[in-house]
Amino acid sequence: MQSKSAQREGILQQLAEQGGATALAVAQVARQSGVPEADVWGAGTFYGLLRRDPKKTLVCNGLSCKLHGADALHHQLAGQGVATEFVACLGLCDVAPAAVGPELLPLPASDQPAHVLPSDPNLPIDLGGPRDRSYRGLGAALKLGPEAVLRELQASGLQGRGGAGFAAHIKWRSVRSQPSPTRYVVCNADEGEPGTFKDREVIRRQPDKLLEGLAIAAHVVESTQIYIYLRGEFERERRILQDAIDQALLGPLAGLEVHIVRGQGAYICGEETALLESLEGRRGMPRLKPPFPTERGFRNQPTLIHNVETLACVPDIVLRGGTRFASLGRREPGAKLYCISGHVARPGVYELPLGVTLDELVAHAGGYIGTPLAFSPGGASSGFLPMGERSRPLDFASLSQVGSMLGSAGAVVLNDSVDLPLAVHWQLSFFEHESCGQCAPCRLGSRWMRQALDRYLASGDPAELSDVRDVAWEMLEGSICGLGQVAALPLTSALQHFPHHFGHRPVTQELHHG
Amino acid sequence: MADTLTIHIDGQALTAQPGESVLQVAKRNHIAIPTLCHDERLDAAGCCRACLVEIDGQRRLQPSCNWPVSQDLRVSTRSPRIERHRATLLGLYVADHRLDQDGLPVHTTQGNELRTWAETTDFKRLLAIDSPRHPRGVDANPYVAYDPDLCILCARCTRYCDEIEAVSAIQLAWRGAETSIATAGGRGLLDTTCELCGGCVDVCPTGAMHAKQAPRFEKPGAVQKVRSTCNFCGVGCQLDLNVQDGKIIQVTAPPPGETVNDGNLCVKGRFAYGFVHHEDRLRQPQIRGADGELHDATWDEALHYAAKGLLGVRDRHGPNALGFVSSSRCTNEENYLVQKLARAVFQTNNVHQCAAT
Repeated sequence: MQSKSAQREGILQQLAEQGGATALAVAQVARQSGVPEADVWGAGTFYGLLRRDPKKTLVCNGLSCKLHGADALHHQLAGQGVATEFVACLGLCDVAPAAVGPELLPLPASDQPAHVLPSDPNLPIDLGGPRDRSYRGLGAALKLGPEAVLRELQASGLQGRGGAGFAAHIKWRSVRSQPSPTRYVVCNADEGEPGTFKDREVIRRQPDKLLEGLAIAAHVVESTQIYIYLRGEFERERRILQDAIDQALLGPLAGLEVHIVRGQGAYICGEETALLESLEGRRGMPRLKPPFPTERGFRNQPTLIHNVETLACVPDIVLRGGTRFASLGRREPGAKLYCISGHVARPGVYELPLGVTLDELVAHAGGYIGTPLAFSPGGASSGFLPMGERSRPLDFASLSQVGSMLGSAGAVVLNDSVDLPLAVHWQLSFFEHESCGQCAPCRLGSRWMRQALDRYLASGDPAELSDVRDVAWEMLEGSICGLGQVAALPLTSALQHFPHHFGHRPVTQELHHG
Repeated sequence: MADTLTIHIDGQALTAQPGESVLQVAKRNHIAIPTLCHDERLDAAGCCRACLVEIDGQRRLQPSCNWPVSQDLRVSTRSPRIERHRATLLGLYVADHRLDQDGLPVHTTQGNELRTWAETTDFKRLLAIDSPRHPRGVDANPYVAYDPDLCILCARCTRYCDEIEAVSAIQLAWRGAETSIATAGGRGLLDTTCELCGGCVDVCPTGAMHAKQAPRFEKPGAVQKVRSTCNFCGVGCQLDLNVQDGKIIQVTAPPPGETVNDGNLCVKGRFAYGFVHHEDRLRQPQIRGADGELHDATWDEALHYAAKGLLGVRDRHGPNALGFVSSSRCTNEENYLVQKLARAVFQTNNVHQCAAT
């Protein structure tokens, strides 16, 4: 049990500064913080960036990077005498195969500007446009007052852009109605869904729109304390964002506290309650809900948590009205940042009407490479869909109808050169690696699932997959959070839509568990 | 009482108090819900997922240990969905456990709640999961050991160590399928804040945390529990002597809520029972003879000899030449008698108790 005076919140950052969760660093951080040493150890060993060798170059093992030769890159770097290790995903799917150096900055080959649409002032975020530092939306919000802002937000129909698609205005009203005078606004910038790199691009190109959205949110829910939980691998983005904050605090954000807290390498911390645990210096294990963060979140106080893109849409909604924003979408409201990578000509982030089809999205990305076989519409969590669904609107409702989801809108295309069961293996390995380990259905199920597929690949016998449906059902029903609930989807969706790819097959010799 | 609520479990109207969980109400009314990570003394963790039930109005199954009662709450603990959930979840646990020749989780001397559940429930048979926990180094402490192959990561031990003992010597460490119970830096318990109370052993449902001195895999029924009082100090903790063939093989704490120590023991009460059967233990009084050696005596002879010696000192040097110190192992009543002996018989106030300072 930690003493009342213990300073837990900073321990992960302190470990990072001391080279990771080594026994020595843990002892020292425990002494300085007053947190029990075992707790510091338990928290530190949870996080990939605190467990890594700080001298090594990190090579991405995500789906898009695998498709574009991550293994070859790994061999090539090793041949040059570079010490490397595979990591689950780096959020650089557009420049696959990606690698970052020990300082977490992309290697030159992975350091190219992302493809985006040309500047169009009608777009809410307008990644291709000049950086907007006007903070006019914030000015308008202060004039309108909170209730009017909430009305515009409701009219906009803005749904959370992190993956769950929950109506934003309901969260804002909930936090605003809480009796506690202390409230927090937290930005979820722990973008980690393989195939997704849109929040990264918002921070690189339009960081002030994010800050403006945060300031408007803080104004409406009557908070002055903003925490941005930023993915640890986004070191370049952290510098850009910190610079933007430093300048904005001198002007439009005066009176607010804005903190960047670095994630330490755990995909699960993109789950909002795991994120809160991590902010508080603990293992990133999701909390049981209820209570929801809007009632009891960060430091047990009402907390508004939103994804980067969601917040970056807010200034436009305030400035040009919710109805106009809503009209930018097709069957669901608004414009949406779609990521596209894999076997397409120009992987990138494209701001398009919510509900475009895959074909439309890929047209913006310069077309398919080869003959497309399958696609993942919304990151690894959305499973695989057949090309028969290429005309389905990529929106929340349409994709959930086919047992998939829009998620973070990180679409990945696989062409027919891909061995689909092997691609499924990569995805399952990702979830197994990123499961927090708290609840049994996910901890055991994700490993069982990957090992069942291993057995199938090793023997070529489809009977190895006969229990997949039951275990997947239990992961969906029994897991605490969304990770476990969808972790089997890459396999179950592939079995459903591509049964002919899972027949008897020759033995697969080599599997990379990365 | 105005505060009383009514909830419905499986159609049965039941009385509940605000602040109670669905599981508490169910248990009180003998409605069986399986649990693994639950301990009444600890905050609900909801991590083992065994106790999931259907709550009216909730899309997802919810942990009954953590679901607060509310007026007219409707709960179902039996349905095809819940049965399937339990059968598959249990199948996953079993696939990750060490099994005996019958394919059931091994029995351990301290029991195995996973085995008990598997014996009474049809479950989904799955191929074994190869899931070695993060390895742990050598631990030289004499009392407590951890066998990761039997661990189901319910975290009762780590939560007990934190919430009850306020020691925090062990914690969940690492992540995912390699999550394990660890000390800081993987050190032995002697090099941590651990007080070797052994509470982690008592709360462990599967025998993963176990006592090094005790045999590990005794059959059920082979061990008899004898309730006794710890005699290491005057608190009066109750303990259960686990007796086999007339010998104590382990000491465990009685279940929480039954005795003054509420399921807790300290390092002495739990582990320091080696003297009971030790060959050097004195079994009758002895008196040192003129030859300088100890010779067996009867209690009468020994008491008379001691009384004579004490009275001799008093008569030669006065009462204040004597002093009486009683042991902290004495009960309150025995301490009372010692001071009475000092004051009434020997007329001295020189009396002390070793735990008084």
